Amino acid sequence: MPTEVIMPKVDMDMASGKITTWHVGEGEAVEKGDPLFDIETDKAAMEVESPGSGILHHRAAEGRDIPIGMPVAWLYDKGESVSTPPESGAHPEDPARTDAIPEPVAGDVFLHKDEPPVAPGADDKVRATPRARRLARDHGIALGDMTGSGPRGRIQAANVEAFADGRAPLGEPSVAAAPASFHPQAGDLKVSRRGSGSGVPAVLIHGFASDSHSWAAFEPHLGNRPLIRIDLPGHGKSPRRAPASFTALASELRQAFDQLGLERAHLLGHSLGGALALAIADTRPRKIASLTLLSPAGLGPEINGEAIAGICRANRAESLGPWLKRLVGDPDLITDRYIRTAMKGRADPDLRAAQTAMSDVLFPDGTQAFDLTPALGRLAMPSRIIWGKSDTIIPWRHALRAKGQTALHLYQGLGHTPQFEAPEELGKLIGDSL
Amino acid sequence: MNAQTGAAARELSYAEAIREAMDIALATDERVVLMGEDIGVYGGAFQVTGNLVEKYGTDRVIDTPISELGGAGVAVGAAMTGLRPIFEFQFSDFATLAMEQIVNQAAKVRYMLGGAVSVPVVMRFPAGSGTGAAAQHSQSLEAWFGHVPGLKVVQPATPEDAKGLLLAALDDPDPVMIFEHKILYKMKGMVPEGHYTTPIGKAAVRREGTDLTIVSTSIMMHKALDAAQTLAEEGIDPEVIDLRTVRPMDRDTVLASVRKTGRLICVYEGVKTLGIGAEVSAMVAESDAFDFLDAPIIRLGGAESPIPYNPELEKAVVPQVPDILEAARSLAKGMI
Amino acid sequence: MPDQEASGNSPYAVRTYEPARLIEALRKMHLIRRFEEGAEDSYMRGLIHGTMHLSIGQEASAVAACMSLTDDDKITSTHRGHGHCIAKGADLGRMFAEFFGKETGYCRGRGGSMHIADVDKGNLGANGIVGGGIPIAVGAALSAKRLGTGAVTVCFFGDGANNEGAFHEALNMAAVWTLPVIFVCENNKYGMSTSTERSTAVKNIAERAGAYSMPGETVDGNDFSAVCQAIDAAVKRARDGKGPSLIENLTYRWRGHSKSDRNRYRTKEEISDWQAKDPIVRMSRMLKDHGIIDDAGLAKIERDVAQTIEEAIAFAAGSPSPKIDEATRYVYTDEAAA
Repeated sequence: MPTEVIMPKVDMDMASGKITTWHVGEGEAVEKGDPLFDIETDKAAMEVESPGSGILHHRAAEGRDIPIGMPVAWLYDKGESVSTPPESGAHPEDPARTDAIPEPVAGDVFLHKDEPPVAPGADDKVRATPRARRLARDHGIALGDMTGSGPRGRIQAANVEAFADGRAPLGEPSVAAAPASFHPQAGDLKVSRRGSGSGVPAVLIHGFASDSHSWAAFEPHLGNRPLIRIDLPGHGKSPRRAPASFTALASELRQAFDQLGLERAHLLGHSLGGALALAIADTRPRKIASLTLLSPAGLGPEINGEAIAGICRANRAESLGPWLKRLVGDPDLITDRYIRTAMKGRADPDLRAAQTAMSDVLFPDGTQAFDLTPALGRLAMPSRIIWGKSDTIIPWRHALRAKGQTALHLYQGLGHTPQFEAPEELGKLIGDSL
Repeated sequence: MNAQTGAAARELSYAEAIREAMDIALATDERVVLMGEDIGVYGGAFQVTGNLVEKYGTDRVIDTPISELGGAGVAVGAAMTGLRPIFEFQFSDFATLAMEQIVNQAAKVRYMLGGAVSVPVVMRFPAGSGTGAAAQHSQSLEAWFGHVPGLKVVQPATPEDAKGLLLAALDDPDPVMIFEHKILYKMKGMVPEGHYTTPIGKAAVRREGTDLTIVSTSIMMHKALDAAQTLAEEGIDPEVIDLRTVRPMDRDTVLASVRKTGRLICVYEGVKTLGIGAEVSAMVAESDAFDFLDAPIIRLGGAESPIPYNPELEKAVVPQVPDILEAARSLAKGMI
Repeated sequence: MPDQEASGNSPYAVRTYEPARLIEALRKMHLIRRFEEGAEDSYMRGLIHGTMHLSIGQEASAVAACMSLTDDDKITSTHRGHGHCIAKGADLGRMFAEFFGKETGYCRGRGGSMHIADVDKGNLGANGIVGGGIPIAVGAALSAKRLGTGAVTVCFFGDGANNEGAFHEALNMAAVWTLPVIFVCENNKYGMSTSTERSTAVKNIAERAGAYSMPGETVDGNDFSAVCQAIDAAVKRARDGKGPSLIENLTYRWRGHSKSDRNRYRTKEEISDWQAKDPIVRMSRMLKDHGIIDDAGLAKIERDVAQTIEEAIAFAAGSPSPKIDEATRYVYTDEAAA
């Protein structure tokens, strides 16, 4: 049975939308989460990800106005026979109907008349809690647009709240301490793709205790090219596990990079991700078009162990906030809402347990236990190091270990996360030159 | 001081609080009689009536033969014709012998007669496990009675409520079934002096919280409060509701709490299946509070077995504090 | 009651009660018979749903047992209770209205035939549970004793109930506490289809009284005077504070157990034998023999009764039904509790 792809409601007062571009051709395969089409409403343009994996058929025409909830395409299993489009279970949302309360059944003494039944909504098949559904209704958000952090991907209230705050779906507000031990998960690292275009793709590797969302502010400045983001193990949506050594971690990342099957890619890494990018570049030199290291680890023993331990330990926004403020040059950038959202992203106790275990391997006693300085000397592709001179996590002076043709860009007033603190500035520097 | 009455309060056991309520009722209302097995000179199997027979005589503190059906029926007939009997079952389990009179007569006479009579009988049921008395002396049958329109069913969890609910039951024109947990009889608590009533049909919020709601009954309220303390130290902030009345159930208090917290645990000693938790859960699921649920509901009730004799087994078949902790943690972490 | 010298051989009832009361008693017996027939007829016309248990043939027992009672005295009744209700003074219009399920019925259409009651007249109600009313009668007697009202309770039950535990528990307690209650067993020979011979270890149910140290007496339940005599003695004993009695009235129901009975457990001959012992015919003869009533008087009773029944059915048929949205009214006294 093919899966229906509908015109999603992405805006509160949206009644219909136009497909401006299909990213996947008729009869082509698509993976769940891949960009599927762009839509345009009277207010915004937006990319819509594929709700499932399969072979795309019965695409709706570009440029036509389609009511929300109506099918725009169908996803078939490989080998499944394709004929005419199936009957849609969805009905276009009728704005006039949304607020209508059904009449209570008269004369029936067995029903509570004060509680009219609720009309079924368009989000029926999404796994979500009742509270999440109610919040989504109140905010005019389609549940299909977000991922849930609950069991089996169930969308919970916090996911909707985070989405409504303009952020990507995040986890529950944290209440439980990270367990001393956790059950390590197997499986591939999570790879997510953003953007389109024909340029050489850029592969982005985030830093310790962060995740792929940390690139969000910077991504619009990386030019017209596919962006491929990898979540580290024990981070973001990757399996919860802690590699036994830096070498093991680097080998996992290399494997994930290889599985992307790219001819060539620009490689960008931040902090620990920088060290990993350097390690990949060292072993896959012919595939790397350029290497950009942002406040990279691996170039010296010093690191702010207190901040790492503080972030790993933090159980609630109150204890996380002060350490997050250490990451940036201007603490005002770290708002309360930012902290709350970050904490929601760290709600899973197993995530925090995995990161704590990882920090013990990578940064024992507040020391970087791995050294990639020799690799710096071997780089043949264009490479650059970008650092904020107000970094309190890893001293910017480590950048001075660079040899040969690696370019250095030092920014006054920026902290450990220049791509978050000054995305436009950095965009000017590297956007076009990738 | 008691906020309601202005009366001074002092510490009494749960059993003493019940006895004081009966004493006040006997002293102030000639129509009140106590009936039950061995409630006279023996003082009741759990010494709840104590020495009341010395004060009020055998005409008003009446030892019945071991005739639960007949005794209950006599109480029903007496209530229909002017007396205010308080009938004590020696163990709530023995009420099974009297179900005919309770379910077919006491509960239904008013309705069957189109409102022509009321049956203001009060029945007391020492209930629950924990005494090593095994399967026929340890049951929690309150849900059975809660299933019968015409009855009111209460489960006081504290000495103050034990007295207040009994006095409220005597003021009530309809049959009121009071389920008293045997383990609570010796529990002490502050009890206001003099006459006061605890409203039937009103739950009590014993601990306010924001993260999840624990609806508890009787002895489970104390276990829920114990668990809440541990949970609070872990950063989980539960709200603990003492249901107090099984029928009519306090919808408003339960639903308001669930709307606030979005998470619900029901903990009760009676067998889990088709029990009080099922009713509480359904009440939430059928109401607008459903839209506030952010996780599945958890019911913690008695195991699907009779109460065993062995003390470890006996503990294992009813919810304990660690069960509540585990349920609350998994709910709070979003693991279920 | 003291014997009246002038009527040496006359029956107890004639010696004891004024002619007018005896004529009224006969009228009540006719009322019961015509009421039952009217109910049966209405049932067959589809005006009454459910089922009903008719007491045709048992009229003497019901009326005689209530002769010495006042409105303060209580009765508890059975599923075959229409006669008891009429004997205790109920209004036939409200009774029919109840059978028709009307709001004007004694139970506002909530109870029907099996729960017919008239609390103002002391009838605490028929009962759908065999033996269900017996402990309740003892409770009413306990109230009377505690509150010192001087009232007695007559507890009607059938031969089937004498094998219920409630019967034994209740009789025991009534005896232990010396309560003013008269247990009246209307032994009509069958508990549904099972005869007393097959169900009951003692020959006469009154023998059970011995187990509870109370007087027990078996009488011809179709003999109005005999029933009066036994019951009146028991009532006096109860009012005198001497405790309970058990009276067994041997009688017979002409109709089946209920409307679904196909009479497979008894013979036509047995039924016609008992019809020959019609309590109304016997009562009429007794009153005629003692010059209390003549044929014209008897005919007048029949005419009056027919008219009363007709008016009662008309009242019931013309009465309003309960409101559907009040289906759950009268469950609790404080209706907010429902």
